[in-house]
Amino acid sequence: METATHMLRTGRRGPLFEFQMAARDLRASTGRLDLAWSLAWHDVTSRYRGSILGPFWITLSMGLMVLGIGVVYANLFGIALHDFLPLVALGIVFFGTISGTVTEGCDTFVHAAGMLSQTSLPMFTFVWRTIFRNIINLGHHLVIVVGVLIYYGYWRVANVPVAAIGLVFLVLNAGWISMLAGIASARFRDIPQIVQSVMQFAIFVTPVFWPVNRLGKHLFVLQMNPFFHMLEAVREPLMGGSVAPHTYLYLALMAAVGWGVTFAIFAQIRRRIVHYL
Amino acid sequence: MKAPPVSVSCHGLTLRFPVYGVDAKSLKKHLAKITVGGRLGSSHGVTEVTAISNLSMELKAGDRLGLIGHNGSGKTTLLRALSGAYEPDEGSVEVRGRIAPLLDLGLGIDPSASGYENIRLRGRIAGLTSKEVDERMDEIAAFTGLGPFLAMPVKTYSAGMQARLAFAAATSVEADVLLMDEWIAVGDAEFQKLAHKRLLKLVERAGILVLASHELDLLRLYCNKVMRMEGGVASPVTDIRKLDELMAA
Repeated sequence: METATHMLRTGRRGPLFEFQMAARDLRASTGRLDLAWSLAWHDVTSRYRGSILGPFWITLSMGLMVLGIGVVYANLFGIALHDFLPLVALGIVFFGTISGTVTEGCDTFVHAAGMLSQTSLPMFTFVWRTIFRNIINLGHHLVIVVGVLIYYGYWRVANVPVAAIGLVFLVLNAGWISMLAGIASARFRDIPQIVQSVMQFAIFVTPVFWPVNRLGKHLFVLQMNPFFHMLEAVREPLMGGSVAPHTYLYLALMAAVGWGVTFAIFAQIRRRIVHYL
Repeated sequence: MKAPPVSVSCHGLTLRFPVYGVDAKSLKKHLAKITVGGRLGSSHGVTEVTAISNLSMELKAGDRLGLIGHNGSGKTTLLRALSGAYEPDEGSVEVRGRIAPLLDLGLGIDPSASGYENIRLRGRIAGLTSKEVDERMDEIAAFTGLGPFLAMPVKTYSAGMQARLAFAAATSVEADVLLMDEWIAVGDAEFQKLAHKRLLKLVERAGILVLASHELDLLRLYCNKVMRMEGGVASPVTDIRKLDELMAA
């Protein structure tokens, strides 16, 4: 039976010890990934309990948004629907995963208050729960992606393995932002509002609804937008394009630094989080 | 297979609660503090309440420890520290054996999910694998006595029915160290008897019980040792037969 048969908790013994304890929490959580997965599935099914379409409701509303924005903007920009609609569809679906993971990250620890204050479950389990839940949601939205790619004939040029690598980078980066938002939200109740505003802002400054080449000489500004790189790494290969090498470099660096910083913060205030809730 | 030794030990355990008022949780206040440079004096550090100070004790298999003390004396905090949820500020807590905290029966209960789903969820949280939950499902379902209601959402249950479900699910675990905040009594008279028997069995199987309660008779009934807490300071662990002396002290 996979339960903790030995538990040791001690007072602070210096920063190195705090890192070891944080690493132990991480290890314990990876040993129980199936629990995080079950909790994530439970979240998805309980949110849509009793509805006929279940999680496909968000898929449907996303599909409508894709259709609306796709058709209207294609006319506004004067771009062929064939080029534009797939761009918007993939943009909305994958940006949805990023913003879902990040904004729901704010509730990661707050919603787990009950369990965290009376069990020794690893805290990382709840981080995985949020990430897995968004992956499950993405699984439902893939219907849109597959449908659009087939309908507009992109399936012939789509490079799925490369897109999958991009998706790993996307999740890796959305993951640490989500966890950081979770820690910050536990301490400061203003953070969820701030995160929401930032993500709302981000959807407009990231080429979700508009083609990159429209930026012209301002393109360099976009290079600083992390969400642009996260999105490009998945969307470009699916539309038959190629991803610039510096995008991977940017994403890898961001993931390494981001997780490093997040883990360091977690290690330092891990024992306080339960008291924040 | 020989079971590993079960034990609970605390050494110089000290737990402080930082009190984060609603104010302290606002980022604006936090930033504002930085801009005024803490001149107001009270900005340094958060108010801290010492819930447990310098507590040391050792429990071994067979020990049934009763905790007594006024409200706010640190009993529940100690139980939470033993469950591994609260980290000590100083000293250490060490528990060998599987811990089952029965502190809040409502833990992990989702009112919109069915009885079966809740049993499953609760079991998973308590550390059972999916397969182990399946194996126990029939027994748990039978014990609740809820029959066909188990397939219905828990929110349609009466309070008593919900308590039955929560109790059955929470006590389906096998534990070496059982933590309880008040002796659990749920349901109607008939169910209370069944519940009582089940709880006793669980206690018998567990190597160690830590039970916080205000009822001295209850402690005499189930415990063989007792510890009195007052303002976060614990008395030495004493034999239950000296309970009266302890209370008079």
